[in-house]
Amino acid sequence: MEPEVERYRKPTRVLHWVHAGAFSVLFLTGLVLFIPGLGFLAEGGWTRLLHRIAAAAFVIAPAIYVPLNWTATLRGIKDAFNWGREDIGWALAAPRYYFFCDEGAMPPQDHMNTGQKMWWLLVLILSGVFLVTGLVMWLFKTVAPPALLQVMVLLHDVAFIGSAPMLFVHIYLSAIHPLMRPARAGAWSSMARGRVSRSYARSHHARWYARVYGTGEPAREKETEVLSR
Amino acid sequence: MAEKAILFDATRCIACRACQVACKQWNGLSGESTRNLGTYENPPDLSAQTWVKMRFVESTEGGAPAWTFVRQACMHCTDAACVRVCPTKALAHHELGMVTYDPSECSGCGYCVDFCPFHTPRAGRNLVSGMGKMAKCTMCTSPGLDRIGAGYQPACVKTCPTGALSFADRADLVAEGTARVQALRAQGRANASLYGENELDGLHVLYVLNDSPEAFGLPANPRVPATAMAWKGALQPVGWALGGLAIVGLALNFVIARRAKFSQEAAAKRRK
Repeated sequence: MEPEVERYRKPTRVLHWVHAGAFSVLFLTGLVLFIPGLGFLAEGGWTRLLHRIAAAAFVIAPAIYVPLNWTATLRGIKDAFNWGREDIGWALAAPRYYFFCDEGAMPPQDHMNTGQKMWWLLVLILSGVFLVTGLVMWLFKTVAPPALLQVMVLLHDVAFIGSAPMLFVHIYLSAIHPLMRPARAGAWSSMARGRVSRSYARSHHARWYARVYGTGEPAREKETEVLSR
Repeated sequence: MAEKAILFDATRCIACRACQVACKQWNGLSGESTRNLGTYENPPDLSAQTWVKMRFVESTEGGAPAWTFVRQACMHCTDAACVRVCPTKALAHHELGMVTYDPSECSGCGYCVDFCPFHTPRAGRNLVSGMGKMAKCTMCTSPGLDRIGAGYQPACVKTCPTGALSFADRADLVAEGTARVQALRAQGRANASLYGENELDGLHVLYVLNDSPEAFGLPANPRVPATAMAWKGALQPVGWALGGLAIVGLALNFVIARRAKFSQEAAAKRRK
């Protein structure tokens, strides 16, 4: 088998999948109120119960992760706001890259490429909007001044509309796009097993690979250490 | 079929509250324990158990105390904000004009409570689970308790001893109400008004008032909240479009990118 390098540590992967599961439930139980033809599924209110259970998981998971993984959290948040010239290069190359699989067009990317960074920044911001508006509705629905609750409903919807299409893009680009095949080597594997093949890391995240593993062949012991984890 | 309506004449109401009792009795709504707040007005507010309530308005006229009473219950709007925002269609328009409500379809989302310009629907809910149901006056069209379908008058109208409430074709009641308001004006009540004729494209509860609507605590110009229009008329359609475009765009990308990758792989194989 091809040598592999580590992309995501286990706590990060667990957080990702708990969040992914919770968000999927939140998305679907919200969707039934969003598409008129699906409204009947919400009858009786059981979707609200699911929505609240998932909302609790959505908030509790990072609340546990952050204090236990403080450095990783800080690094991640810093990454979300670290934008530069190479992001313009990504944007210019993206159509050729994603439509015509022209991997040569793409300038070297860091641990997160520009697209991943956009998604990650959106997740951070919209999670905040979801949290604040959701909490107000949870605690004060039908009790707080109607004008306030109306705005909360609207903002919750704005966050929903902002995040749902991007969620489709996220799932597609990490698991379905032809360049992400075979799944065992690439993006899917990085979140499922935490590791990717060395050639995938080099071709998709060259800047990061060079920074962490050096430009030449990785030292033999380092590689075995990564593999043994 | 001709639209129906209730006409409430504030000048004939003595606030006996028989309508409140008849409503609870017919609809099987329990009483509420309340505190004496120094007024005969009771219970203090509408609730999921109280669908109609007389509000007592105290004022002075020429130095003498004046006491008037105004009916508080669903207005059965033609342009009803609650129907617009209800995601399960538990709230709907009856062919006779009233706004019907089927509790078995209610999800308890509470949107109707927060968007009604009259703050009529009410909901009890569990703070932790959020489970609950909205409730409001259905003008006696509730499933299984449909007096209108059976050819009866609403319970409140049937029981009213002074004729302050009447139930008939809406057009007839508009004419009747207009005549009564003109009579009041002729008696010197310059501000007398008929409320509900045109508000929200026409309410199905009309009010004969011997003063302006504001004096009775009714909104002078009720509207479906702008937030409801922005949400249902603009934001959600944009959401459907963006979601649909994303799916179509990704499918298109998949087809194009897969062909590109295949031809690259084929070219690489030929070079070997």
